[in-house]
Amino acid sequence: MKKIMIIISLMLILCGCEKNNLNGEVNVLNWSSYIPYEIINEFEKEYNIKVNYGTYSSNEELLAKISSSSPGTYDIIFPSDYMVELMIQKDMLMPIDKNRIKNYSNINKLFLRQKFDPNNIYSLPFLAATTVIAVNKDKVLDDIRGYNDLFKDKYKNNIVLLDDQRIVIGMSLQANGYSMNEVDKNKLNSGKDWLLKLNKNIKAFDSDSPKTFLITNEVDIGVMWNAEAIIAKEYNPNIEIIYPKEGFAISLDNYSLVKNAKNVENSYKFINYLLRSDVNKKITDEYPYINTTYSGMNLDYNELLMVLNQGTYVENIGNNIANYDKIWAEIK
Amino acid sequence: MKNKIFKLVFILPIIIYSIVLVLLPLLYVLFLSFLTSDSYGGIIYSFTFKNYLNILEFTYIKMFIKSSLIAIITTVICILISYPFALILRTKSKNFQNIATKLIMIPFLTNSLIRTYGWIILLRKSGVINTTLLTLGVINKPLSLMYNNLGIIIGMVYTLLPFMLLPVCSSVLAIDNSLIEAGRDLGAKPLQIFKKIILPQTLSGVFNGSLMVFIPAIGYFFISDILGGGKTMIIGNLIKNQFLSARNWPFGSAISVFLIIVTFFLVKIYKHFGGKMDDLGGF
Repeated sequence: MKKIMIIISLMLILCGCEKNNLNGEVNVLNWSSYIPYEIINEFEKEYNIKVNYGTYSSNEELLAKISSSSPGTYDIIFPSDYMVELMIQKDMLMPIDKNRIKNYSNINKLFLRQKFDPNNIYSLPFLAATTVIAVNKDKVLDDIRGYNDLFKDKYKNNIVLLDDQRIVIGMSLQANGYSMNEVDKNKLNSGKDWLLKLNKNIKAFDSDSPKTFLITNEVDIGVMWNAEAIIAKEYNPNIEIIYPKEGFAISLDNYSLVKNAKNVENSYKFINYLLRSDVNKKITDEYPYINTTYSGMNLDYNELLMVLNQGTYVENIGNNIANYDKIWAEIK
Repeated sequence: MKNKIFKLVFILPIIIYSIVLVLLPLLYVLFLSFLTSDSYGGIIYSFTFKNYLNILEFTYIKMFIKSSLIAIITTVICILISYPFALILRTKSKNFQNIATKLIMIPFLTNSLIRTYGWIILLRKSGVINTTLLTLGVINKPLSLMYNNLGIIIGMVYTLLPFMLLPVCSSVLAIDNSLIEAGRDLGAKPLQIFKKIILPQTLSGVFNGSLMVFIPAIGYFFISDILGGGKTMIIGNLIKNQFLSARNWPFGSAISVFLIIVTFFLVKIYKHFGGKMDDLGGF
């Protein structure tokens, strides 16, 4: 009995030691494969703060995780544009005090003041992405400039699209000259017809890793997020990356603090750390999305301007999503 | 008295488990299915039948039929594989039978998602099967083995086959040998023996297996996502979409309730044909 008591008290002491050594913790919920693990480890070492790192694979999953957990479970999250807007409306976020982020000045002003949070009260830009067409020039010699160039019979079963109804139906709307956030039923129907016509050329819908389709020569054409296309290009330099002439989607993921977050001080340290030039560069070196800082810029200024001017954000369209969902079921 | 308390102590956790983790969530799903979703994916507490009427739309009915067809084909293929397997197993020694049935269970030790991903390496254009056949000169163009309905069916049959094999084997192995011998002595041909003796006695095993294959085959959305390339929606995908991308939980719940009702009817039919509930794993 005595022995057990001694062991238990020793364990308690040890636990205590560990606690004393640390400057607390921070609870981060981020997209899967978005920040290299070594960056998290280095942050933990440098600041002696334990990072509890969780991941999600869609904005809806993030929303579900935040709304079903008890307040204070998570500190930092990375919602995309429309989800920031929705979370502000649902009063789920905490205002960000920019004065507490020393590296705030490193954020590229072009990415600030977006319409989902015009004064950046609740969000600061983290990474951006656009949809692009990636074409394997080894196999496809035609000049492809936009979505309407994808109909040729010889591309039968040769295209991979994102498994995302808003992006794919949005693309069909843009191909018809409409906005990708259109809710008008007639316009949506012409988008549907466009997709039904394209269907014979579509090999698969995949959001997890469409680059694999290009790299393994399963298909020669893909519409995917730019980072995926850039990684595919690293494997095969003959892959051409094209901004579709009819328009494309842009998505901006943001740092946000969850309302009632417990570790606010550590959260600011974490955001500040990620905005540091050397750390930030490592993120986009590994996952080549569009960097939103001055120090890590990976697009030249004109391309960046073009992307921000011509890219369309996916907007929350409320209950109209039901019509999208029905079209989605009809295409598949 | 003591005995009663003792029994209660053992049964109580199971009762609590079933109520908290099965009955209550199901009731919640049923409740949800009569509500409306707001524009942000939240729930409005106003009663409606709209979600059930929605299911009857042509688009969804067409999808249900397609999904059911895939499930039926999967079930039939599973039956066609299981019978010869069981009949051959009958002729082997008891030890061999034991080992063989245990081996069926082995793949369950690996997560089915990982096993499904494994199939990509075999089936894709530059995969093992196509490369082998191409180098052997059997084909001159890679076969489309996945990213279509064939891929889904291959994945479904592979994942669900054990659920058919086990009940079919146990019912085929349970047939008294003397019955078959008697049939043979009286001059019955092999096909007649199968039709008159083996089939009637194993039908409940087949029904049991069919239920266990058919029902998951309309719900396993990850197989249609991975091996079908997301090109074919099965009912499982539709439900998943309602809870994630479409953010329409009430409609998703209504489809789930609809599926439960279909399952219920299938079990009724199973019972009607003399199937035992115990064989389904203690319903």
